[in-house]
Amino acid sequence: MKRRWKIIGTLGLVAVIGGALVVVSGVIPVKASSGHWEITRWFLNFTKERSVATHSTGIKVPDLEDRALIIKGAGHYETGCRVCHGKPDSVRPRLVSLMTPQPPDLQKIVPQREPQELFYVVKHGIKMTGMPAWPELKRDDEIWPVVAFLLQYSELDLAEYDELVWGEHQKQSDQSIDSAEGTSLPVPHLVIEECAGCHGVDGQGRGLGVFPRLAGQNEAYLRVSLEAYHHDNRLSGTMEVIASRMNQKEIQEISRYYSRLPPFPSKENQNGEASSNRDSEAEVASFERGAEIAAEGIADQDVPACADCHSTTRKPFKNAYPTLIGQYQDYLALQIKLFQNRNRGGSKSANLMHAAVDGLKPDQIRDVSYYYSVLPDKE
Amino acid sequence: MKVIEMPAASDAVKAKLICAGILISGCSGSQSALSPAGAGAEQIASLFWWMAGGATIIWVIMIALSIYTLHLNPDAHHRQKSALFIIGGGAIAPTIILTILLIYGLNLLPALLARPPAGTLQIEVQGYQWWWRVRYPNQSGEPIELANEIRLPRGEPVEFILSSKDVVHSFWIPSLGGKVDMIPGRTTHLTLHPTKTGRFRGACAEYCGASHAYMNFTVDVVEKAEYDEWLAQQSADRLAPRNEAAERGEELFLQTGCGACHTIRGTEADGTIGPDLTHIGSRNSLGADMFVNNRENLQNWIAHVSALKPGVKMPEFRALSDDEYQSLSKYLEQLK
Repeated sequence: MKRRWKIIGTLGLVAVIGGALVVVSGVIPVKASSGHWEITRWFLNFTKERSVATHSTGIKVPDLEDRALIIKGAGHYETGCRVCHGKPDSVRPRLVSLMTPQPPDLQKIVPQREPQELFYVVKHGIKMTGMPAWPELKRDDEIWPVVAFLLQYSELDLAEYDELVWGEHQKQSDQSIDSAEGTSLPVPHLVIEECAGCHGVDGQGRGLGVFPRLAGQNEAYLRVSLEAYHHDNRLSGTMEVIASRMNQKEIQEISRYYSRLPPFPSKENQNGEASSNRDSEAEVASFERGAEIAAEGIADQDVPACADCHSTTRKPFKNAYPTLIGQYQDYLALQIKLFQNRNRGGSKSANLMHAAVDGLKPDQIRDVSYYYSVLPDKE
Repeated sequence: MKVIEMPAASDAVKAKLICAGILISGCSGSQSALSPAGAGAEQIASLFWWMAGGATIIWVIMIALSIYTLHLNPDAHHRQKSALFIIGGGAIAPTIILTILLIYGLNLLPALLARPPAGTLQIEVQGYQWWWRVRYPNQSGEPIELANEIRLPRGEPVEFILSSKDVVHSFWIPSLGGKVDMIPGRTTHLTLHPTKTGRFRGACAEYCGASHAYMNFTVDVVEKAEYDEWLAQQSADRLAPRNEAAERGEELFLQTGCGACHTIRGTEADGTIGPDLTHIGSRNSLGADMFVNNRENLQNWIAHVSALKPGVKMPEFRALSDDEYQSLSKYLEQLK
């Protein structure tokens, strides 16, 4: 009995020392050029799939059918994922095809995955595969649109993909656009490359409510916001990535460009149908409640008057606070909720919003967001 | 012998004797129930002295008895005599003494709790985490609002109408009288009758959160004429800025959003969430009696408020430049 244990112990020791020698000697190849052995590949994949399946258990999947959500996800895909995973009917980038393991073709692999598994992988990435984590773990609201997009992705052809990512605006250089003063404004190359897909060349955010309007926004606010994204002070998995590539000069150029565009148009100009049911009774009531919150605040809930910082009329900007006139209701409501949960971040003034909106209740958030969003029609 | 020449010195001396070895400085001065400057506080102080005196006598008797039984006469004692001592001294005497004290104490209460006659000055005080909103009645209607500071005319009764907006606070000016809790959803009352002029300190006497210790206020008891003059000055609109820096400060105050929470009468700033700042420059202190009121402290307050007063609702304005902080503090300093 004792003898047997001795033999087992000796063998164990030999195995450990032998293993250590193999590692220390460096004979194991880590080169990507040869790929994995079939059995290694199978084992790693199996381990990965089991891990993702186990860890994604219990994640609650929201409704992912909304087209605006899919379009938002498409924009994220184009800026973050396309570079490795490619797009429909297109040649994979040469460098990417030399990775081990190779980033999978998502059109083939997504149908085999559950939405919560996709969410888990997009959020956390996968170790030692090159799949990065989402840059901002507090922004689940940005990750679900990517999942919503991926669920549609396997059916898309290139034209449909481009339509989702770019909308009516197609990438083309040497564009120009009318500024607010009526002069012709050349569209900076960077805007076409980095911003226009989601925010539009015209800065109207494609009319969906998932991308904010930037046209006519306060230049100083646009600048400090991009700087905040650049320095990871404003939390966003997509905007942080885009802004981190920009230098100060580019940030200034983009801020200046969008601030000079004609400000948020009224709903009639932008979309004729919207005006027909705009003045329903419920909306009038919501508008009035929102107007009161904006003008007076809600002292009992420690909510100050919004209008003391965010004017309800257009006037020259004297500080770096944004104008909210004509901004999308959904976008405004989302920002307030992010502030309440401390998941937004922002410029040096972001902490002011924590104190300001903490007391707002969900229906009040809807009302005050609605009020600012339709203000141009009421001016 | 200098001490004895001062008014109220006898109380101060008594207080010091009692407190020797504990916290000598804590028992006298502007925040001490043992230096009464009001009718209620005098009654409470005399009750305290009667009790302290009685307790001293009982203590001396007990020590003497202990020495007698343990050292002077340690042998077995007479059974019946001992029983008499135990029943008499242990049960009967305390019952009589405590009953007398209770009757005396309860007798004080009605006078302390009584609502004063109609026409008495009524001051409304609301407790907040961690400051006091103070409202004085005004002939012309709208009450005069200030914060963290109370001024009272000497020799007249005053009734405080007390309430709280968040948690339970307790309103206490030890030198003037007893304390009364401020309870959310309820109104409580306290009548004080200041008898001496001087500056006193009030405090929140009920633990109310992180900065409870920084929830204080000053009370100035002054002669009636001086009080009237002060109240007239407080009821006026703000003094217009007197130089360029202060003008810039007022502009900044309005542009930066300060007016969403603070009122400065005479400007667009009409917020009611935070303290009224119309005459902040005239106040004795800043931050509910945390700091001396001067320009440097004003500036630090705006720039670092949450570090100075943990948990405070006011946010820091980090985007302002040093120049802007200075303009703002110059403006506020001028709001006498």
